[in-house]
Amino acid sequence: MLTVITGGSGSGKSAYAEDTILSYGEGERIYIATMFPFDEESHRRIARHRDMRKDKGFQTIECYTGLHKIEVPAGSYALLECMSNLVANEMYQEGGAGQRTVETVLEGIRRLEAQTARLCVVTNETFSDCQPYDEETRRYQEYLGKINCQMAQMAQTAVEVVYGIPLRLK
Amino acid sequence: MELIVGGAYQGKWEYAKKMFPQAAWARGEDCTLEELLQADGVYGFHDFLGRQMDAGEDARRLPDLIMEKNPELIIVSNEVGYGVVPIEPRERAFRELVGRVSCDLAARARRVHRVICGVGTVIKDA
Repeated sequence: MLTVITGGSGSGKSAYAEDTILSYGEGERIYIATMFPFDEESHRRIARHRDMRKDKGFQTIECYTGLHKIEVPAGSYALLECMSNLVANEMYQEGGAGQRTVETVLEGIRRLEAQTARLCVVTNETFSDCQPYDEETRRYQEYLGKINCQMAQMAQTAVEVVYGIPLRLK
Repeated sequence: MELIVGGAYQGKWEYAKKMFPQAAWARGEDCTLEELLQADGVYGFHDFLGRQMDAGEDARRLPDLIMEKNPELIIVSNEVGYGVVPIEPRERAFRELVGRVSCDLAARARRVHRVICGVGTVIKDA
């Protein structure tokens, strides 16, 4: 069963997603981390997230590319965070899926959903502002947008979090 | 506390003025902290946050301070953070700050309104 959790940057998506997983009760909790630690700022962000979920009983699996290859315990409750990082990794990292990012990621989500009892995916609204993006960034928005739409279609529940307040989209 | 959020140019302040016609407003773009703590409402609160950040102040303490000194304040603030991660570190820090402070404010506010196309929806009513 798939839940998609979206929202802007700093909107409280992560805290809401963790609470959602905890609300399922006792079970094996898996955190699939996709942020690649490439500079000091990303290390800080990762540390902040680790701190948020300590004492919540998550086992962390790092997955920067190749989501379709990972295996998680059958029947577990998994939280994948964040789709926006995974898509950037697949597009730009060596050995990433490149132009096949959308299909590859969606295949990964389908496989993960089949392995887990509950799957929550955190993604990001990167589609509403007025910055003049270059072609490459627009392609990124296109891929992430397509993935978000298709995931939401597969999902039982889709939620937008606005400053910690969940708005149910589906 | 009342929190009114939404994107830029969505009619948030017009909505706020209709909802609270008697309120005396401070402007986040240039008001002082003292003025903000004495006003009925503040619009452009995100600008105030940006000014605090640029001045090296710890703006994360503002929700506590407002609850202590001016708990009935009406806060009108832009929703930011709906684009691709900005290249400039200052812009990244700004949207992070606006996000975290807004989450804190929303948790404390009696009501949270979100305005799109001039239409307000109450998304929290405690």
